[in-house]
Amino acid sequence: MHKIKLNLAAKAILVVAAILGGLGTAVAQGNYEIQVYGADTVAPKNLMVELHSNFTPEGQKYYVDGVLPTNHQEHETLELTEGINNWAEVGFYVFTSSQDGHGVQWVGDHIRPRVKAPDSWHLPVGLSLSTEIGYQRAVYSPDTWTWEIRPIVDKTLGRWYLAFNPALERTLHGPDVNQGLGFSPGVKVSYDFTRVVSGGLEYYADYGRLVRFDTLHNQQQQIFAVADLNVSPKWEINVGVGLGPTAATDHLIVKGIIGRRFNWGHHSAVE
Amino acid sequence: MILNRRQFSQLSGMAVGSSAFRATGLGLEPADFTLDIAPYLVEVSPKRHYRTAAYNNQVPGPVLRMRQGHNYTVEVRNHTADPEVVHWHGLFLPSAIDGAMEEGTPMIPPGGTASYTFNPDPPGFRWFHTHTFAGKDLSKAQYGGLHGFLLIEPRGATERYDREVFLGLHDWGGHFKGSDDGYMMPVYDASTINGKTLGFGEPVRVKQGEQVLMHILNSSPTEIHWIALAGHSFHVIALDGNRITHPQTVSMLRLAPAERISAVVEMNAPGVWVLGEVRKGVQAAGMGIVIEYANATGKPVWNQPEGLVWNYSQFATKGQTAPQNGTTQIELAFDSKFQGHGNEELWRINGQSYPQSHSPLLKAGQRYRLVMKNQSMDDHPIHLHRHSFEVRRVDGSAELHGLWKDVVLLRAGSTAEVEFVADNPGKTLFHCHQQDHMDRGFMMVFTYA
Repeated sequence: MHKIKLNLAAKAILVVAAILGGLGTAVAQGNYEIQVYGADTVAPKNLMVELHSNFTPEGQKYYVDGVLPTNHQEHETLELTEGINNWAEVGFYVFTSSQDGHGVQWVGDHIRPRVKAPDSWHLPVGLSLSTEIGYQRAVYSPDTWTWEIRPIVDKTLGRWYLAFNPALERTLHGPDVNQGLGFSPGVKVSYDFTRVVSGGLEYYADYGRLVRFDTLHNQQQQIFAVADLNVSPKWEINVGVGLGPTAATDHLIVKGIIGRRFNWGHHSAVE
Repeated sequence: MILNRRQFSQLSGMAVGSSAFRATGLGLEPADFTLDIAPYLVEVSPKRHYRTAAYNNQVPGPVLRMRQGHNYTVEVRNHTADPEVVHWHGLFLPSAIDGAMEEGTPMIPPGGTASYTFNPDPPGFRWFHTHTFAGKDLSKAQYGGLHGFLLIEPRGATERYDREVFLGLHDWGGHFKGSDDGYMMPVYDASTINGKTLGFGEPVRVKQGEQVLMHILNSSPTEIHWIALAGHSFHVIALDGNRITHPQTVSMLRLAPAERISAVVEMNAPGVWVLGEVRKGVQAAGMGIVIEYANATGKPVWNQPEGLVWNYSQFATKGQTAPQNGTTQIELAFDSKFQGHGNEELWRINGQSYPQSHSPLLKAGQRYRLVMKNQSMDDHPIHLHRHSFEVRRVDGSAELHGLWKDVVLLRAGSTAEVEFVADNPGKTLFHCHQQDHMDRGFMMVFTYA
C-alpha cells in the first residue's frame, strides 16, 4: 500500500516536473548547493555570506564507482559572494561533507563570477550569466574538475516570482570528460503569502548530455517544496524538502540556506 | 463597486464631457497667459531623449509672473491625447479651478481648452503642474514634463535683487525596481536641472558682487534632492514661497518632491562652479548646472560635501506658544498594505486607500491640527491643497511656529504636526506628493460642512 502511494506521488511530481520543464529549465548542482539563482547580483562593497545545509535522509546506500554513498550525508557549504560593481559579483564555495564513519571531510572548492544585464537596459526580465569552475575530490565525484555556465532569467509578477536557470555543465577532468555539455536546468516558482513568507516549488534536473538526454531512469530529477523568509534586507533564509523520483536521484533531501549580507568600507550618505 | 484612482478619474472625465468645461473655467476674458499642452521630446543630454508632454514646448514650462491683488486669466489648450488638468500648487483657489479632479476641477479633454481666472494669493514662489494618474507608465503625469514656475509678487514694493534665477529639479526615465524593503519603487536614468544634465544646458551667468535670488523647485515625481553650490552658500529666505521667521545661511538645501526654496546667493567667489546634487550618483546622472562668473574660464569646480545636512526647525521659532483655543486635532496614520514583492504597496490613511478613504469634515473658520504618524518605511512629502499650514512639530522637534508651508516631508517612522485654519471652503485634497504613492491610494479629500 505504501509503495503504491509513493508511486502515485512520484508520478504527480513528474507531471509537475514536466510542466515546469516545459518552461525551459536549469541545473544539477550536486547536493552541496541546492538553489535556483535569482538574476540580481550582490551590490558593490557588500559581502554575502551563506551557509547551505543539506541532509540526505534517503539516498544512495552503496559505493558506486568508488564514490561514497550519499545516504545520511550532511553537506555544509560555505558560499562567499562579493559585489564588484552594479553588474558583477564573484562567488567562492567551500564544500564539506560529514557522515558516520567518515567524519567531516573537505569536498572541494568552486569559484563563480557572474554578470547581469544593467538596469539601464530596461529588460522586461532580470537577466544574468554565471560561470562556475572548480574541483571536488574523486571520492565524492568521479569528475574532479567541472565547469558550468548558467544563464539566469527571473521575473516578479505581483505576488509571483519565477526563475529559470538553464545551466550547461562540462567535465574538465574525470570519466565524463568526453561527454560534452550536459543540460541541468533549474526552475523556481513561488508566491508571496505575506511580506515575510513566500512559498513555492523548486525543480532541479540533470538530463545528461545536451545532444542526447539520458533515459528518464538515469536522469536526476528533484522537486522541492520551499519557503523563503524575507525577514530583513540583510538576511536570506530558504528551507525546503525535496523528493527525487528517479533511480539516479537521492530520494529525499532536506535543505536550508541562511545568508547574511555585510556592508564594508566607508558608507557616506553622499555615496 | 470599488474604484481605484484610474477608474475614478476615467469616470470623472466622462462626467465632465467636452463641452462642459469652458463654462466651469470662470473666465471668458482675454487670457493673460496661454499654456499649450502638447507632446514634446525633451533632450536632457546629447544621448538621452524622453518623449513627454510639456507646456509651451519647453521643460520646465514658462515662468508665470503675477501680482497679488490682480485678476489673471490663463487659457490652457490640451493638444495631447489624454485628459489633462493644471494644478496651481500653493494658491488659495476655489476647488473648481484648483486643478485636482478629486476636488471637482473638470479635466480638460483631448483637444479641449479651459480658462482659469483667479486672483492669485498668497504671494511667493508657487508652481503649476499636471495632476493626473500615471500608474505603471512612468512617462505620464508628474514623471513627465508638465510643470512650470509661478511667482506671485506681493502687493506694494518688493525687494529687488540683481538677478532672479529659477531652477527646476527633475528625474527622467523612471522604471520600477525592487527596493531593499521588499517593494517596487521607481528609479531613474537621468536627473536634470531645468531639463538638462550637467554641462549640457546653458550656464547661469552671473557677475561678481551680485545678489542672486534663486527660486528652486523640486518637481521630481518621487525623489528628494540635496543641492549645494560649490564655493558659495545659500541664504534661505522662503520655504514653499512663504517668508520664514528665521532666515538662515546654509551650505546645502534639501527639497522633497513639490517643495520650493527661495534663497539669496552672494556672488563673491569668481570662477566657474557647479550647482548640483550632493549625492554623487545623482549628480553623475546629470543633476547639476554650471554657474559662470563674467570673464571666468576653466572647468566647472565642484567641492564634494561629506554629508547631508538639513533641518526644518532652524527656520522656525522654537518654544511653546500660547495655546490656541478651540484647535481641533485630527489624527492621521499612514501605512501600506503588502501587495506582493512585484507590486507597489497600497497606501492607506487611517487604514483606507483613496477613493475609499473617509472625508474629514471641516468647519469654516475652525483651526485644525493634523497629527500625522508615518508608520511606513518610506518618507512622504505631504501636501495640502488650497491652504497653507504651519509646521508645529517635525523630525522630533520641540513645538515650532512661524514656519508656513504647503508640503512637509514626513520621515519614515516619524510624526509631524501641522496646523491650518479652514478658511477656504470647498473640497480640499490632502495627499503624498510622490506620484506612485498618490496613484496607489495615498490621498484623502477634506470637505467643509
